Amino acid sequence: MKTNRQRALRTAGFSVLGLAFVLALGLTATGTQLFAGGSAEGNPARAAGVALEGAGASFPAPLITAMADEYRDYTGGRITVNYQSIGSGGGIRQFIEQTIMFGATERYLSDEQVAEIEASTGGTAFNMPITLGSVAPTYNIPGVDTGLVFTGEVLVDMYRGEITHWNDPRIVELNPGVDLPAVPVQIVHRSDGSGTTNVWTDYFSKVSGWWADNVGFGTSVDWPRGTGANGNEGVAGVVQTTPGALGYNSLVYATLNDIPYGAVINSSGETILPDLPTTSAAANIDLPADTRVSITDTPAADGYPIASFAWVMVYERLDANSAIETREQAEELVRFLYWTITDGQELSEPLDFARLPQAAVDRATDMLRRLTWNGEAVGAEVIAAIAQR
Amino acid sequence: MTVRARYIRDGVMRSLLIASTLFIVVPLLIIISYVLINGIGALNWNFFTVELGSPARAMQGRPTGLAHSIVGTVIIDLMALAFAAPVGIAAGIMLSEYPDNPINPPLRVLSSTLNGMPAILMGLLAFALVVRPFGGFSAVSGSVALAFVMFPIIARSVESVLRTTPWSLREVGLALGLPRWRVIISTVLPAAKTGILTGVLIAFARAAGEAAPLLFTSFGQNYMNLDPGRAMDTLPQRLYSLAISPYREWHAMGWAAAIVLLVFVMTCFFVARLVAGRFGTRADG
Repeated sequence: MKTNRQRALRTAGFSVLGLAFVLALGLTATGTQLFAGGSAEGNPARAAGVALEGAGASFPAPLITAMADEYRDYTGGRITVNYQSIGSGGGIRQFIEQTIMFGATERYLSDEQVAEIEASTGGTAFNMPITLGSVAPTYNIPGVDTGLVFTGEVLVDMYRGEITHWNDPRIVELNPGVDLPAVPVQIVHRSDGSGTTNVWTDYFSKVSGWWADNVGFGTSVDWPRGTGANGNEGVAGVVQTTPGALGYNSLVYATLNDIPYGAVINSSGETILPDLPTTSAAANIDLPADTRVSITDTPAADGYPIASFAWVMVYERLDANSAIETREQAEELVRFLYWTITDGQELSEPLDFARLPQAAVDRATDMLRRLTWNGEAVGAEVIAAIAQR
Repeated sequence: MTVRARYIRDGVMRSLLIASTLFIVVPLLIIISYVLINGIGALNWNFFTVELGSPARAMQGRPTGLAHSIVGTVIIDLMALAFAAPVGIAAGIMLSEYPDNPINPPLRVLSSTLNGMPAILMGLLAFALVVRPFGGFSAVSGSVALAFVMFPIIARSVESVLRTTPWSLREVGLALGLPRWRVIISTVLPAAKTGILTGVLIAFARAAGEAAPLLFTSFGQNYMNLDPGRAMDTLPQRLYSLAISPYREWHAMGWAAAIVLLVFVMTCFFVARLVAGRFGTRADG
């Protein structure tokens, strides 16, 4: 015999299962509908605001996210830019996979990558400079503070094991008056693929034929010696806990965490301590139109020699990027990117980032002007409209 | 054996059991108190009401928090549960109640393969199945990835719970001439509901702590987002990225996020026990 209680229980069990089913179906339906993009224009709640998605290099992430914060206030909360720091390699990967509207990288797209994109989308991919960064030699020598002087050759010889002690005559000669102890040099490098490593080894390859022939440059290389550590924080950690350590870190990272870092003598024979003006100055050279250029070992006399652009990657044909669904998104993306290279640059110094030199801003603007949406010159229109205001 | 020897043996076994219990419990308490000590300082009103934004906010002492990550975690986990629970329970019933069905061998292989898969592969699966075809990261793809984590746990626990319900229950129903599906729904499931609920909640809590499957699916978000078709933030993933960031303020927030996640998971278990206890006594009475 069924009691009321049993019946109630069974009904309860039933309805829980049923509810779960209905919920699952409902959510799937909503999800699909949203994915299809059909609701983007139809839904007034979404049409009111535009969300832009980007990802990539960790080095410019503090600047880009601060720009996103500022831009959201500037547009009265209408435009939200979500930038996730996943590394340069991840940024390039997801940009090619077309899961993000723009990528960011410390290493410009290779000729092969650009050629592939041109073949598959019918338009090129731009590397638009957004900021500049320096990589500083960081060290832990008892009794020695920031400002030890290096040359490119000395750094290379330390990394390849030709110089094994901190009191080596070649280091002493560069640093008269500094009391260098007879401590062995402990080399630290990144174990993960990194834009920082790319800049560091790119410089090494330019100043040393041996390095160029035997190691080369890239986001990760086959190091002749040393200890690997994961991320900027990993290298910093090993350097800070190992007396005699020599590593390399983004300048922002070294200053933020009070790690002693050195000056490097540039190609004009000037001793340059990395800071914001000397980093900006490094880019003060003849820039090619696509800005895909390495500025390490810069010919600029007042420039720090281990610096690099960080670039934002966008497809020339914005409609060819499957992450961008509507023309409105494309327009807002152009508007945001143009803002980052103009007004947005004001945020650089307070956050310890180097401002783009005017030549780079001009090149970047030219790129944005060429962006199209289904054949229409969205980039030129948006920039012209801003200029008229 | 003398009584004295038995007492001695009893004492030895008892102390061994106590020792092994402590061996498990003490490290757990240490971990929980360590998280509490490190994170309690960063837990404030802003933490629950403000979005993260850029690290500049934290460095310049402006309000910043993880409101969007908490909301995102709840949405993504509930959607994942809605995907996984019906399918998982159905699979468990299939495996236990229809052992001869030809669908079962492949189902069992699928379930145990999924169970043994590293969680990051669930993320990869969801990336290939959802993110790439639809051209963008989304909360739904994160839920699908977590549903893959939940499914085998639910299916297995439902199967084993149903197996332990006495055969006499089924025989009663079948003797009355009820069809098999009716017997399952009317007698087997109600008898096993406490166990099923526990299994579902264990799966839920396990998935709620996963960060790896979400890295390239729900992806992460710096602002509040309620649209399941776009990138969304979750506590485990945000905890990870806060922990590896170079900012001291963010490290503190990471610890605070760990407290919230711990409380979230522990509350799930607590509620589960409460509900199960209530239903349990009613069914007995």
